[in-house]
Amino acid sequence: MSGTDAVPPPAPLAVLLAPRALASRNALRRRPFRASILALLTAAFWVGCFFLFAHTLRFFQTITTLGPLLAERLLLVLLVSFFAILLISNVVTALTTYYLSADVRFLLVAPVPRRRIHEARFIETLIASSWMVLLFGMPVFLAYGIVFHARPLYYLAALAALVPFLVIPAALGVMLTTALVLVFPARRMRDVLIVLSVALLAGGYLALRLARPERLASPSELAGFTAFLVAFEAPASPYLPTTWAADILLSFLGDEPREPLFHFALLASTAGVLAIACGAFVERVLLTAWSRAQEGRTKLRRGRLLGRWLDAVARPLPHPTGLLFVKDATIFFRDASQWSQLLLLLALVVVYVYNFSVLPLDDGSPIAGTLREVVALANLGLAAFVTASVAVRFVFPAISLEGRSWWALRTAPIPLTSIWWAKFWIGFLPLAMLGEALIVITGRMLGVAPGLTLVFMATLVLVVAAIVSLGLAFGAAYPRTDTQNAAQIATGFGGLVYMVACLALVFAAIALEAWPVSRIFWSRFAVAPLGPGESLAVAMSFAAVAAVTVGTWEIGRRLALKRLAHFGA
Amino acid sequence: MIQCIALRKQYGELVAVQDLDLEVAAGEVFGFLGPNGAGKTTTIRMMVGLLEPTSGQVLLGGHDIASAPEAAKALLGYVPDQPFLYDKLTANELLRFIGGLYRVARGEIAPRSEDLLEEFGLIEHAEELIETFSHGMKQRLALAAALIHRPRILILDEPMVGMDPQGALALRQLLGGLAASGVAIFLSTHSLPVAEELCDRIGILDHGRLIAQGTLAELRAHAGEILGSARGSSLESVFLSLTRTAGRRT
Repeated sequence: MSGTDAVPPPAPLAVLLAPRALASRNALRRRPFRASILALLTAAFWVGCFFLFAHTLRFFQTITTLGPLLAERLLLVLLVSFFAILLISNVVTALTTYYLSADVRFLLVAPVPRRRIHEARFIETLIASSWMVLLFGMPVFLAYGIVFHARPLYYLAALAALVPFLVIPAALGVMLTTALVLVFPARRMRDVLIVLSVALLAGGYLALRLARPERLASPSELAGFTAFLVAFEAPASPYLPTTWAADILLSFLGDEPREPLFHFALLASTAGVLAIACGAFVERVLLTAWSRAQEGRTKLRRGRLLGRWLDAVARPLPHPTGLLFVKDATIFFRDASQWSQLLLLLALVVVYVYNFSVLPLDDGSPIAGTLREVVALANLGLAAFVTASVAVRFVFPAISLEGRSWWALRTAPIPLTSIWWAKFWIGFLPLAMLGEALIVITGRMLGVAPGLTLVFMATLVLVVAAIVSLGLAFGAAYPRTDTQNAAQIATGFGGLVYMVACLALVFAAIALEAWPVSRIFWSRFAVAPLGPGESLAVAMSFAAVAAVTVGTWEIGRRLALKRLAHFGA
Repeated sequence: MIQCIALRKQYGELVAVQDLDLEVAAGEVFGFLGPNGAGKTTTIRMMVGLLEPTSGQVLLGGHDIASAPEAAKALLGYVPDQPFLYDKLTANELLRFIGGLYRVARGEIAPRSEDLLEEFGLIEHAEELIETFSHGMKQRLALAAALIHRPRILILDEPMVGMDPQGALALRQLLGGLAASGVAIFLSTHSLPVAEELCDRIGILDHGRLIAQGTLAELRAHAGEILGSARGSSLESVFLSLTRTAGRRT
């Protein structure tokens, strides 16, 4: 080839963005039903958000003096929260799109300038990180516009402000990720980021619950929330993009002059400068950072210790349950996307128990006793629901996580039923222990009679067995082998359908058990002894609960085995 | 040791494997050749019990993989074309797990693992996570895992892909040694020189049909009958002429 050969122009940005767009389009085409269900749920969420905020803002308007200030501060609180979420989300997403995604390799060897690669990845990161905030934010902005009777210019300004508002955290996130990848190995960093995100989520959930938002329902406590919003001064610094964005929006909502053009210029120019700085920085270090991201960890220091400990725990378990338990538990404790879910679980349990500790049941009213008994029955449903939500995270992904390594299990001389039983026990035992602990602890808090607690414990064992069986069936029916992230597997369509199935099961069990439980144990109904006809009806109701749960368990087992026989084929 | 009897796999209208009959004796290395999409991997997946045939039978050591899967699989070592392994386990942990699945005695697993890792040049990486391994290293580890229980049948799907020359040479020597000790080896490969060097008999699959099988000399003679003269020609030219002829017929 001669030195005068013309260098072809770089591929247009659209070409680089096409694979992701085409993949999304193909996914929609392949599964139109799934896409429609998701679209429906999204629309429902959207409408729900809109009405919630519209209602809150209308309520604020009834407070004559503080109303506008509250609406302003609420907008600021929301924008600050959005910005924080966007920043974290961009850092996590950029790690994958820039440094861990397999297709970066193809782009790096193609005659594509690094700046162009960065531009394509930046747009992907921006979209992937921002859609949640857009989903949640749009109805909020719409609610503000409608409640405050804003002019059309408000909606235009909101859209215009949104673009730089999303670009700023994306540029900061990409730069931060790139700087971190230059210092730490990418795989290690991904683990740290995953744990950090989950810990923040769990911490936020705990903080929100322990702040007792229910107090706001009481007028005397609303003053506290108002004081909180009024005191939300610190992040409203004039140097922050959130303040600029809030000022732009508020300019078109009230009569107060706020210089929207100036704030928009600030927002847009900051976004522009950061985007250019980000491009220059990434272009300079992309190859070095990507090369560093490919370096893995070397020797595992604590591997043997974990192995020995798990071996000891698994010793009493039969073959191959023990073997699969050691393998699954080892992978669980090494995979941050899996064990970090325990933090969420912990937050869930703490909030659950805390909820019962603050229930206002002992108010001395005549219906206090009945209320306690109703709550006790509802508690069975709630405990089962908590177990189901934990199962979505831990049982449902079990088959997908086996995924591409399934051949190793399937070609071993082990019957499929043994693999199923092993997976069942590994899911059932910890979940049953969790559910039973919740029933016993909250039962004591509510002062539930020991006999009733025993009935609930027995019911829960059956319900949990059915939930685990369904989890394996749905996990095998909706496997996701494209990701090793357990949380991602759980949040797919299959996880959603599984959750709905679990809810239906729990509802059926509670509905069947409500009458016999109330007849035998509730103070208002238990005064008269059971007649022979009633005894039979009570026995039949309990038998129906057993039949529904055991039947579901068996259906789940058969479905799972049927699906597993063809899994990975 | 390996018997496929009228094995067939059909996906709707598409016949992926068409009434395949073949046998591999103990101590024999059988090479399974064919162009891309010929149905080699489908055949292998049926042989190891990963895929149910539409009709026909696979017998491993006399045990039907469909009706007596555990007995058949206990004799089998298998290395797939894409050896996905558990990324978050170390090499040693994987071998301990696979050894456990095949019921290798607890005391025997550790020394056996050490020997295999040594043999495949992975001993220095025994305590490293598999996610840090290259494709070739994963391939060698999958081979070590397939051999942990001293199988009497070894089925390998494209084992040389991604291996460095040293690894490929070591594998060729190992397969020769295993065959000499009586292991039946079924080897799917695109590497015709490897097949020529290692295999006692070769089967050629095209469009799901076994168009020829036999020793290299028999295949040459077969090609000669069809094309006029193939005497003394390499496996490559025999393969190309047979698959072209079959392609023209279909």
